[in-house]
Amino acid sequence: MPVSGRPTHPVYDPGCPNGNSFPARPHKMPLMITSQTDVQTSETAIPRGRSWLPGAVLYVIWGFCCALMITVAVIDYFHDGGRHWWEPVVWEGSSMLFVTGLLIAQRCLGKRYSVYVEQPARWFGHHLKWLPLAVVLFTVLVYGTRNGIYALLGETYRHRSWDSAFTYEAIKVTLFVCPWLGVIFSFESYVHMQEQQRRVLTMQRSLAEARLAQLAVQLRPHFFFNVLNTISALMQLDVARADRLLSRLGDLLRGSLESTAQELVPLREEMRLLELYAQVMLERFADRATLQWQVDENVLTAAVPAFLLQPLLENAFKHGVERTRVRVRVEVVARREAGTLILIVRNTGSGLPEDIREGVGLRNCRERLQVIYGDAAVLTLRQGGEVVDASIHLPWREQPA
Amino acid sequence: MIRALVADDEWAARAKLQMWLAEQGDIEVVAQCVDGFDAAAAIEREKPDVAFLDIQMSGLTGLEVAAQLENSGAPLIVFVTAFNQHAVQAFELSAVDYLLKPYDKERLLRTLARIRTRTLDRAARSNAVATARAQTSSGERLLVPENGQLLLIDRDSIEWIEADDNYIHVHTAQRSYLLRRTLQDLLCQLGEQQFVRIHKSAAVNVSAIAALAPLFKGDHDVQLRSGRTLRLSRRYKNALFDLMRR
Repeated sequence: MPVSGRPTHPVYDPGCPNGNSFPARPHKMPLMITSQTDVQTSETAIPRGRSWLPGAVLYVIWGFCCALMITVAVIDYFHDGGRHWWEPVVWEGSSMLFVTGLLIAQRCLGKRYSVYVEQPARWFGHHLKWLPLAVVLFTVLVYGTRNGIYALLGETYRHRSWDSAFTYEAIKVTLFVCPWLGVIFSFESYVHMQEQQRRVLTMQRSLAEARLAQLAVQLRPHFFFNVLNTISALMQLDVARADRLLSRLGDLLRGSLESTAQELVPLREEMRLLELYAQVMLERFADRATLQWQVDENVLTAAVPAFLLQPLLENAFKHGVERTRVRVRVEVVARREAGTLILIVRNTGSGLPEDIREGVGLRNCRERLQVIYGDAAVLTLRQGGEVVDASIHLPWREQPA
Repeated sequence: MIRALVADDEWAARAKLQMWLAEQGDIEVVAQCVDGFDAAAAIEREKPDVAFLDIQMSGLTGLEVAAQLENSGAPLIVFVTAFNQHAVQAFELSAVDYLLKPYDKERLLRTLARIRTRTLDRAARSNAVATARAQTSSGERLLVPENGQLLLIDRDSIEWIEADDNYIHVHTAQRSYLLRRTLQDLLCQLGEQQFVRIHKSAAVNVSAIAALAPLFKGDHDVQLRSGRTLRLSRRYKNALFDLMRR
């Protein structure tokens, strides 16, 4: 594959550089990925704060019903040759007033039945058991009110006998209450469903976060034991080298402890940690490997998940260097192509059989990309002849300064 | 003088062990090996008394090297490993010597003390080889010398094995290899499920058999897929029939 980027770092020479080609930035400003802001948007977008709305809509609809009923009653009244306009207003008005009372009572007291919203039969059952009391209260209050108003106006309210009035009102209230409960039930179900959806979204998000935390990048214990052993051996042979390796290991450990799985860091920082890792590995296998960096200067500001490339480089050493006797060349490439950041770790001299089995490191890497970028990021592993080529394509994101 | 072999793919690790062993006075490091093949060849060539085998080596791991050794003729083996809980448990169970990286001089001296008192202990050698065989799929591949090089051949490509004094001829369809092992030990490594004796000094790969033709007095002709015909002695007839019936 042609390398378009300007090689900014010539062949890596393990002997000479004491420093690091990608020095740490004075102010490391970790950029959190979107998960936190996502949580906020989801909470405002999905309507905990909106749950007052269905209630208001209910009252508006109810207001219209009342107005309509009174108007119809007045028209009917004059059509039938009535003469006192206030009579139908009193009749319908008193009915509407107390039905509204029932409604409000349902809104206030019916909340305790909200838990049954997923079991409609129980929900309706619990509401309907109050129907007889509602009928009695309603009839007594309505007829009482009408009698009172008539008396105030010096008239007498003539109505049917009390027992037929009760029957009539019972039928009327029941006929009204049942469909109305249906309307309320659908509103409650709607609110409940919204709430559920919001919860599911929140849960999904925390699951994704937990998954990321689980995938948290870690240097494998094996790596540490091996490096400790190298240091222990070097101490007997070359104290200065042992010292240098120890301080590199310290920097690397610090870097890995500071980063979390969901953190995006500038590529410059990622390259600094990667180079530390490479220096440690080269100290162990200097006689068997060379490392080349082909990193475009202008991609160092890109945002990438911390420690994304370390498992790839680890694989290059594990399968390339530790499995073969020939001298191995490892290359790290970073460049930009339009809206895509391309990162490649390549090693030669792989004595690997045809099937490249994906280890834990590679699988974790893949899963992290999936959680953070969805399908927008791709990790591919290819073998052509002696060369094994692991490349990651990421959507280009700049790390704000 | 105890003759020791050191195998590790890191130069620093080799140098440290070499230095500490040389300090002892009664130990001579006869070979330093950089990978598994190197170690296997050096063990064959130098016949050391003790071999320090790093487990994580290129080519063949230390366990694979040990698994290919002849059980009775193997040197004392000390495995050296950084982090291999599984193998370490196996070593503990079968009392095989091992060093956990990083180890200090005191720990090495304890191992050396054991080596000095047990240099002739047969059980210690075969324990190491048996444990290594159990820890690797050593039955699937066989390490054979070839013009000073070492080759790994697949168990499945082996048709039959023939014992000849202290040597073994391993025959594949194409050619044969010469190996200094006993037939018993080789069959133990390759697994007695797939290879079965057909007479005192020969064994055949069951899956390479094309046909059996009865002969006079209960002997049989064993025809191989490659066309070659071998003789099945009646003493071993039942074992082969049992295995083929399975």
